Amino acid sequence: MENNLQYTQQTPAATAAGDPAEVERSSALPPPPTPKAKTAGEKHGFWHDQWKRIKKYRKLLWFLIPAAAFTLVFSYVPMLGILFSFKGAGFDLTRGDILFNLTHGDWTIQNYLDIFVDTTMFHAVGNTLLINVIRLALCFPLSIVIAVMLSELKNQTFSKVILIIITIPNFLSWAIVIGIWSGFLHPDTGFFGKALTEIGIVNIMAQESWFKPLVIFLSAWKGAGWGCILFYSAIMSIDKTYYESATLEGANKLQKMWYLTLPSILPTIALMLVLNIAGMMAVGFEQVWTMMQADASLINSQITLDTYIYRISNLDASNNVPFATALGVFNGIIGLVLMLVGNAITTKTLKRGLW
Amino acid sequence: MDRNPQMIEAEMTEAEVATQQLATEGAAAVAAVPYVSLSKKEKKALRKANRIRESVLDVILAVVNVVLLLVGTVIIILPLLNYFSLAFNDGYHNLEVVLWPTKFSLFPFEYIFRGDGAVDFWTSFGNSVIITLIVTVVSNLVEAMAAYVLSKKDCPFRSGIMMFFIITMLFSAGIVPIRLLMTMLNLNDTIWSVVLISISNVTHLLYFKTFFEGIPTDIEEAARLDGASELQLFFLIVIPMSLPIIGSCCFFTIVGTWNGYGSALLFITDTPKNVGVMPLAYYIYYFMNKAAKDQTDFEFTMNSANIQAAMMLLSIVPIVMMYPYVVRYIKSGLQIGSVKG
Repeated sequence: MENNLQYTQQTPAATAAGDPAEVERSSALPPPPTPKAKTAGEKHGFWHDQWKRIKKYRKLLWFLIPAAAFTLVFSYVPMLGILFSFKGAGFDLTRGDILFNLTHGDWTIQNYLDIFVDTTMFHAVGNTLLINVIRLALCFPLSIVIAVMLSELKNQTFSKVILIIITIPNFLSWAIVIGIWSGFLHPDTGFFGKALTEIGIVNIMAQESWFKPLVIFLSAWKGAGWGCILFYSAIMSIDKTYYESATLEGANKLQKMWYLTLPSILPTIALMLVLNIAGMMAVGFEQVWTMMQADASLINSQITLDTYIYRISNLDASNNVPFATALGVFNGIIGLVLMLVGNAITTKTLKRGLW
Repeated sequence: MDRNPQMIEAEMTEAEVATQQLATEGAAAVAAVPYVSLSKKEKKALRKANRIRESVLDVILAVVNVVLLLVGTVIIILPLLNYFSLAFNDGYHNLEVVLWPTKFSLFPFEYIFRGDGAVDFWTSFGNSVIITLIVTVVSNLVEAMAAYVLSKKDCPFRSGIMMFFIITMLFSAGIVPIRLLMTMLNLNDTIWSVVLISISNVTHLLYFKTFFEGIPTDIEEAARLDGASELQLFFLIVIPMSLPIIGSCCFFTIVGTWNGYGSALLFITDTPKNVGVMPLAYYIYYFMNKAAKDQTDFEFTMNSANIQAAMMLLSIVPIVMMYPYVVRYIKSGLQIGSVKG
């Protein structure tokens, strides 16, 4: 067993992506300050040191300004908008503009309390979790399996052609993907829809019980091929001599896959898994919103958290704004927690953070 | 494994350890196979027998592999064929379509190119071109510039500035405040709201930073000694050296902006008066849900499914045309993404 572990732990080095990776990895450690900077820092303190650096980089620092300005205006200014989630029922955009509403009216935390008595919210969180967890459990391994299968092909041209074909759906927008599949599943004109009608399943695109399976299936159809490229290139960069020696020792294909290929791409798998979990709350807005039916009676089985926020902030009555903002903050906090947990996991197991 | 494990391990190679471990985990009965008592001759014979059996297994696996991959490819291709053959089909014969046009007709494309009926399509096509161009150039340029400064190890307040950018990746205030901001700036129902919201892209900043850190500083020092200014250094030396990462990031931006309509959903309401400012993907969404049902023209109604298919096909063309040129950059870009993403 120990023998085997050693064997597999050597291989990941082969997956590293050349020089930048190595440089980055060494810089992930706390960078040792240069002796010069250290003495300067000891003599004159932190600010003097920074001032010297600013002088050194004075011609370069303005490079930061455009990116910082866009981030400030379109990411940080909206964070001030969180204040709206503490506004009471008096919020009314017909009474005055947005700033007027911010400075007038009373403050309350009622909106946050309302979140936890809102039944649709519970359905939305439940649906979001259900869809995302199942999607992760099915689509993520699917990408790895496809990558391994592609790498097993002997004919390079064949594998390239298949790779190109399965990545096509990634370049279609969600509106097109859903359009194509509503056509394909259409009971009258669709190829598959007609076949399904024959065996008695009519128009699954319009059926409530098929909504979640279809959401998951369509995201697999669109994303699995694209998702496999990363794993495929990781497998391709494994040193071929490992496979040769494994063959000489009499390992068969399955053994090579299980004891050589998978352990070698394990760091990539772990990283992508954590990234996927961390970004879980933020995916699927366009897809779910486009697939949702306008029928309000179906809302509880189809709504997800971000489509729910979108829906209530879309409704005309502007007194929904504080509650929708509170829901958005709630959603943001879940996302933040997932990100921080994901970062903690990668820092601990892979010795590097997510950023 | 029970009897004399050290001797076994000394004799066996790693792969055999693996094999045997697989066997012991699988069934206890297999573990009782008396490896030790075999003579060298018998072992050789066993190996030979194993090799033949394994190669048969390998052949079966290879066949299954190819078959499964072909099935997967068919699952991708069938809906595309089935749906896009509508684009070349006569609307009166849609019921007969299987995987190819049954009654060939170019009416859908004629309708779109004729101009009178499909003005909105071309307006939104133009909108998408403008949005994608601006976002791709400005976003990647701006992020690359910031990443260049931050890639310097002794940049002042480096970690503080990084934190400033990374926080926006971790936490966002949600869609309502950003909609209110756009309302305040009077940018709702214009393409500029979509452009402005798409420019900040911290993920690409991190990709660029990782890549720039890998560029040897000697080159920059040499250029500086030759009298290059910081601007020249960046545009004439750093950017040409970073084409793989810049190319793939640009391609990701192009695909994301061309196909995305999440931000358009936020800032542009899907009413008929707004068709002039819709990006293409959003217009197709709108056409699917609304426009096709509002039309009264008989010929249009009969062919609306075909026109929709033709529009979708046309909207894919720019991305598909770009793909062969950037495909070689994509792998390196993705790898950097996985190194630090």
